[in-house]
Amino acid sequence: MTSIDVQDLTKEYGARRAVDQLTFRVEPGRVTGFLGPNGAGKSTTMRLVLGLDRPTSGTAAVGGRAYATLHEPLRHVGALLDARAAHGSRTARDHLCVLAASNRIPNRRVDEVLEETGLASVARRRVKTYSLGMRQRLGIAAALLGDPEVVMLDEPSNGLDPEGIIWIRGLLRRLAGEGRTVLVSSHLMNETASFADHLVVLGRGRLLADTPMREFIHARVEPRVRIRTPDATALKTVLARHGHDAVQHEDGHWTVHHARVDDIGRLISQAGIPVLELAAEEGTLEQAYLDLTSTEAEFTAQPQEA
Amino acid sequence: MAFAPVLHSEWLKIRTLRSLPGALLALFAVTTSFSALAGTDGSSDPEFDPLFTALSGVLPGQIAAISFGAMAVSSEYHGGALRQTLAAVPQRGRWFAAKVTAIAVPALLVGLITAVTALVVARAGLGSVARELTVAEQVHAVLGCGIYLMLIALFAAGLTALLRSGVATLSLLIPFILVVSFVIGDAAGTVADFLPDKAGQIVMYQTYDGTLGPWSGLAVTALWTAAALLAGAWSVRRRDA
Repeated sequence: MTSIDVQDLTKEYGARRAVDQLTFRVEPGRVTGFLGPNGAGKSTTMRLVLGLDRPTSGTAAVGGRAYATLHEPLRHVGALLDARAAHGSRTARDHLCVLAASNRIPNRRVDEVLEETGLASVARRRVKTYSLGMRQRLGIAAALLGDPEVVMLDEPSNGLDPEGIIWIRGLLRRLAGEGRTVLVSSHLMNETASFADHLVVLGRGRLLADTPMREFIHARVEPRVRIRTPDATALKTVLARHGHDAVQHEDGHWTVHHARVDDIGRLISQAGIPVLELAAEEGTLEQAYLDLTSTEAEFTAQPQEA
Repeated sequence: MAFAPVLHSEWLKIRTLRSLPGALLALFAVTTSFSALAGTDGSSDPEFDPLFTALSGVLPGQIAAISFGAMAVSSEYHGGALRQTLAAVPQRGRWFAAKVTAIAVPALLVGLITAVTALVVARAGLGSVARELTVAEQVHAVLGCGIYLMLIALFAAGLTALLRSGVATLSLLIPFILVVSFVIGDAAGTVADFLPDKAGQIVMYQTYDGTLGPWSGLAVTALWTAAALLAGAWSVRRRDA
């Protein structure tokens, strides 16, 4: 099993601390969303894991080894850091062949990843003719080139069209399903919520949360239940008897705060109240994230560096 | 990691970027055509050196060699390309050695072919003066010229890795070659012989009066190149990518 282990990692650029004593582990078999505003240290952490920047202190390891000691690293770790990395004057296929050659990956595999990322038909076009979305796909193709156990993608949905966003969701789920370690950074909450199982949240270089996504949301957003009934009086009475607080909305539906749908469903069924609609109002990742950041005083007090 | 796959990758990088084979083609075309022109200019100047005249196309032609070396390295400093490169090859010293080799070999080969062609073309114009050149003199000059063009390309490559910018390198070297070296080259005498370009060009003369001989001159250029490459390697190894 190959995990990413970050231990007491700190990186300073001059006086600025981009990453501050970060410790977390990214486990295989699930998609870990790497969240935080721009400048929170997500990309820096990824560069440190890849051995591209030197940490001021602390360590980062992949499968227990420092990245620089990996033999033919593309076969172990695939990363998308910057979609602009491909030279505009090269064709997509040449770009991938260059990378493949350095790690003795056969050109057959280049054609496979081009097919997989939907670039096969434009593979012999120069990269400068590509849209941002196509460049992202090429960056993802490069990350998948060595069929790696660990995949790290920095903002992969940047510039992708709606079809591409759906595609990448499926891809990430599949990679995790195959038992790979998948770390995906983003500052888009709804997007991350659609594919992540687990979250690592950074703010100003520090670790704010490292929890399963469901838990993260449940711990921070109050659960609510939505009900529609023709018998409002009976509903109010039953809920009040069990200490629940219900609020009626203009269109006639009710919201029960701090309540689980399982409990409320049983109560009103036992009371014989006719129900037209009964649903849990799930908290969103965005709400949970905003709740987290508002409790981090220092985090919101100072403007973020871009 | 083994060296051969890394070298293969670096060679593919040069081959698949149109501007780089283009720069080598320009090196050949500019050098041979300027040499051909110089060959037709029958001079009666007492300092007239038929061998250097025949190879004088190298003076403008070397700008293409410099561009080749600079561009081969500067392509790594756009849009985080170096990060992708070093993620594939984390051994930075080995990667830089492969890059340098992938620049040196084609520069040397094209340099040699260019020198032979320039000499042949110029001889046709020079006529009788050229026939006095011995075989040994011509072989020396051609070999030296090829090595010189390789060294000057590598000098630019090292400087680009140090400055992390092809534009900075070219805007430093091209004015230097065209202006500084040209102007003080005639004025300053012996000190100018130790400039990276002047020193290495001595090997292309039939006779040359100066502190340096043909091979020691080339060695001086090689020292400049080694210094630039070491500085470039230091930059690649020490700095965050």
